[in-house]
Amino acid sequence: MGAAAPAYSQGRGPAGPKPPEGPAPRTPDGKPDLSGLWERPYTPDMSAFSRNQAPDPSLPDDPAPRPNPNAPAKKLLPFTPLGKAQWEAYDPAKGDYTGSCMPFGLTRSINSPDPLQIMQNPKYVGFLFEQNTWFHLARINGQHPKNITPTWFGDSIAKWDGDTLVVDTVGFNGRTRLDTIGHPHSAQMHVTEKYTRTDLGHIAYEMIIDDPVTYTKPWKNVRTFTLRPDWEIMEYSCEENNKDFFEGHIKATQNPNAPIGSK
Amino acid sequence: MKTKLVVSLAGLLLAAALPMLAHHSFAAEFDDTKKVTLKGSVAKVDWMNPHIWVYLDAKDETGKLVRWQCEGGPPNTLTRNGWTRDALKEGDQVTVDGFQAKDGTHTCNARSVTLPDGRKVFAGSADDNGPKARGEAAEK
Repeated sequence: MGAAAPAYSQGRGPAGPKPPEGPAPRTPDGKPDLSGLWERPYTPDMSAFSRNQAPDPSLPDDPAPRPNPNAPAKKLLPFTPLGKAQWEAYDPAKGDYTGSCMPFGLTRSINSPDPLQIMQNPKYVGFLFEQNTWFHLARINGQHPKNITPTWFGDSIAKWDGDTLVVDTVGFNGRTRLDTIGHPHSAQMHVTEKYTRTDLGHIAYEMIIDDPVTYTKPWKNVRTFTLRPDWEIMEYSCEENNKDFFEGHIKATQNPNAPIGSK
Repeated sequence: MKTKLVVSLAGLLLAAALPMLAHHSFAAEFDDTKKVTLKGSVAKVDWMNPHIWVYLDAKDETGKLVRWQCEGGPPNTLTRNGWTRDALKEGDQVTVDGFQAKDGTHTCNARSVTLPDGRKVFAGSADDNGPKARGEAAEK
């Protein structure tokens, strides 16, 4: 090991070592243990396929010509007229809130390429996103407050459905986009996430978007997370050297305090 | 040092297909119709979040030296693919293929950084809904 090697191994990139094999571990109270550092499929576009990630199979194929004809067709999201108008009007060159390091929000954080550390005890499951060093907690067997103060990540409660942890999140501030390409959602969005540790090395993950303002029906996205025992979570400061924004190459969102779609 | 660089090349090639830029979308800043190929001398490397930046002095069409700054991947992802900040040094001659910023400044998104012997350093920022992610050839 020379000066060029990092202090601890960060593995061999996406090829990685073979994920560990064995049954899903359990916590002392008998629940599946989701803990670990997980490599997740980067999902910049929730209507398109990528490695270990698939859009909702029940949605129709997008008939638009594909730049890469060998890639599977994208899916058409079930926009309401309002949702469609917001999607078609979106131009990130007029402002991408993440460029100024504003919080990505729940779905765009789940979509991010950097690993996710999950920590769990009987009362909470904690999601430590390497992306911009954010965290989010879900209260196991908790209740949503009656009057939720809207936030970027929303208010999350979780419960066990057999061996699947179902995370239920509402109370979004509506200032975020679902994904990097910019699919819209409203503050009325309800997100359901399902985490099933299928074996020691994998989590089967599902996200369901239910937002009647923007979409005519709920739709989902499924993924596989892979355990990376050879990685450690690293610091990620979005603000540190954000030249794109500091030098004005990226514009701030026109009105960062307003929900998407409002004036 | 040279051997170490070669050893880490396998990781680099994989990195080219890796998601590298999530902190903002490609289209928020860069113009996929303004492809640039810059040949020049490395002046500095910022190995910092959220993206590394490579500064280089390249000659414009009149022969005048111009300082360019080109954005690369996040240092965390590059570290996981075996790179260190030492892979590129001041004075190294490189060719950067990328796309210029929409604001017309000498700012680019580097899709590749190539040494004179053809080895690629640091890779580009793919899968940010930029040209590569959309399945279009980078050399269009």
